Amino acid sequence: MNSNFESAGVKVGAPHVGRRAALLTTLAALFYMPNRALALVHQAQAAINKVVSFEVSTWHKLLKKGPRPAAYVFTTTYCPTCPDAFEQLNAAVLASHKKVELAAVVMDVQGERALAHAHHYQGATRIYAFEGFEPEIRQSVDPKWRNVTPYVVLIGRSGVVQRCIGAPDAAMLKAWLD
Amino acid sequence: MTAHFIQKPARRWLTLLAATVLTCTSSWAQHEHPQPIAGAQATLAPAAAVNAKKPMVRKARQQLGVGAAFAPDGALWVVGLNADNQLFVQSAPPPVGAAALVWGAPRVIPGAQDEMSADGENHPKLAFGPNGWVVISYTQPLAKPYAGMIRMLRSTDAGKTFSAPFTVHADRQDITHRFESVAFDAKGVLHTTWIDKRDLETAPKVGKKSSYTGAAIYRNESRDGGATFGPDLKLADHSCECCRIALTPGRDGVMRALWRHVFEPNVRDHGFATLASASSPEIVRATYDDWHIDACPHHGPGLALASDDGFHAVWFGMRKQGAEDGAAVRYAHLKPDGSPILASVRALPDERAEHADVLAAGERVALVWRSVDGARSTLKAWLSTDSGQNFRLVVLGSVTGDNDHPRLAQSGERMVAVWRNSKEVQVHELKF
Repeated sequence: MNSNFESAGVKVGAPHVGRRAALLTTLAALFYMPNRALALVHQAQAAINKVVSFEVSTWHKLLKKGPRPAAYVFTTTYCPTCPDAFEQLNAAVLASHKKVELAAVVMDVQGERALAHAHHYQGATRIYAFEGFEPEIRQSVDPKWRNVTPYVVLIGRSGVVQRCIGAPDAAMLKAWLD
Repeated sequence: MTAHFIQKPARRWLTLLAATVLTCTSSWAQHEHPQPIAGAQATLAPAAAVNAKKPMVRKARQQLGVGAAFAPDGALWVVGLNADNQLFVQSAPPPVGAAALVWGAPRVIPGAQDEMSADGENHPKLAFGPNGWVVISYTQPLAKPYAGMIRMLRSTDAGKTFSAPFTVHADRQDITHRFESVAFDAKGVLHTTWIDKRDLETAPKVGKKSSYTGAAIYRNESRDGGATFGPDLKLADHSCECCRIALTPGRDGVMRALWRHVFEPNVRDHGFATLASASSPEIVRATYDDWHIDACPHHGPGLALASDDGFHAVWFGMRKQGAEDGAAVRYAHLKPDGSPILASVRALPDERAEHADVLAAGERVALVWRSVDGARSTLKAWLSTDSGQNFRLVVLGSVTGDNDHPRLAQSGERMVAVWRNSKEVQVHELKF
């Protein structure tokens, strides 16, 4: 599925689209639904075309009933160090061959403005955006966390929570994915 | 499955379905984007509708970031964006006696149509100079992520009218020019500093990534109140990428800057420099948290002139305290060259302190910060009457819900903290 999408995604941005490419494009549109923000940068991308609201109550719900294992990378549109941390995390997930929730949580903008940064988070299964007073939502995730980003929370299959600023180290990843 | 293996009936089915999707979604796409954008959109817009759910349209959160400054006549001015994202200024003459501050009507600046950053560390600013000069600056974010232009409007009639916005720097690439600061020095020279990534763009790449660490601080000078500018000058290589830059003149009237710097090997402490000449100034290390981190604190420092010709500094950082990372907003008294008097370093008495700033007049020093506990934000001050040797904690106010960082302004002995929330702009006189 993944390689299929990648080839189709590349065709989306091609200036001259042939019949086969058109079909690939159609498939991509039907099954993978890349979003317009991604289209603007001509990047192949996962099936994300909307931003999910992350409110004060969201974190509690995710901890209680959210997918596991899961990784949440809290980021901002002004954080140039965040995509690298996400990329490292995504590489670890791909190497593990495990099905993992890998979410980017944009803290400073919503909607289309958040989606405009989605190409930084290739491999994300979901993109959230803070809706509400940022410090209040941030404190609902971790009362001691200042708004330093990337802030990463790893939730293991058993519900064990690990937190770090920047890319998680190998020991954290092992504990998370094992 | 790939398209290569699709049989003819399936192709017809897919084509029909795609056409239906296109038809069904065209009205939605036009509503969202009246202006046609990239060619790829035509293909991708239907994909959005295949989801069969129209995205929920929410009103964007209002950007509350303001700038505040006193005019030469003692009036307090603020600049920011209104609920319609229009740039406005508003002023209040100095109160008579104990009378309350009376604000004039907000005045939208005509012609300022740029998109503007007006949030957190990156907010519109206002600076008053001699000869009736007033400048308003802001970062204009561009469509490309992290890219921006430093824009300015100028007035030559004490703020009665403003020019159309113009770009301050000579470099016009669609790259990072953001987080500007502006201030006039004692000679009336306007200093603009900003975070700039032109050097990152040209540095050799390692794989896909630049070998350049962080960003750079650039600056320029204008000797005619923003009518013309000198060349872009590099102040420092390897700054942090997303923190405000503090500016204040020294006793000699020459401008000083304090910013979050990336010291070798990857330590985000603070650099201090005197903006005295076109050549690259010496960078003095002003803080020693020794924070080894590859992250974005979005939490710039504050700087004020001290009575001994040194400086008062306030900043956020993390330092190792045993096995723990001790995050705190800290204060220090700096020597005139910007190096810290290590014995003066202390954490603010509030583990939730954030986005502190500092003012000083003679022996009086005011540190003001926001402290957030859930939905409740409290504005606090640490006041000293002995040049920072001892401080008294004062609670200035509190609000529930969204609010800006506190912005400080000073006119001689008078100091105020300006604090905007979603309903009002509060002004707190700092009483020692």
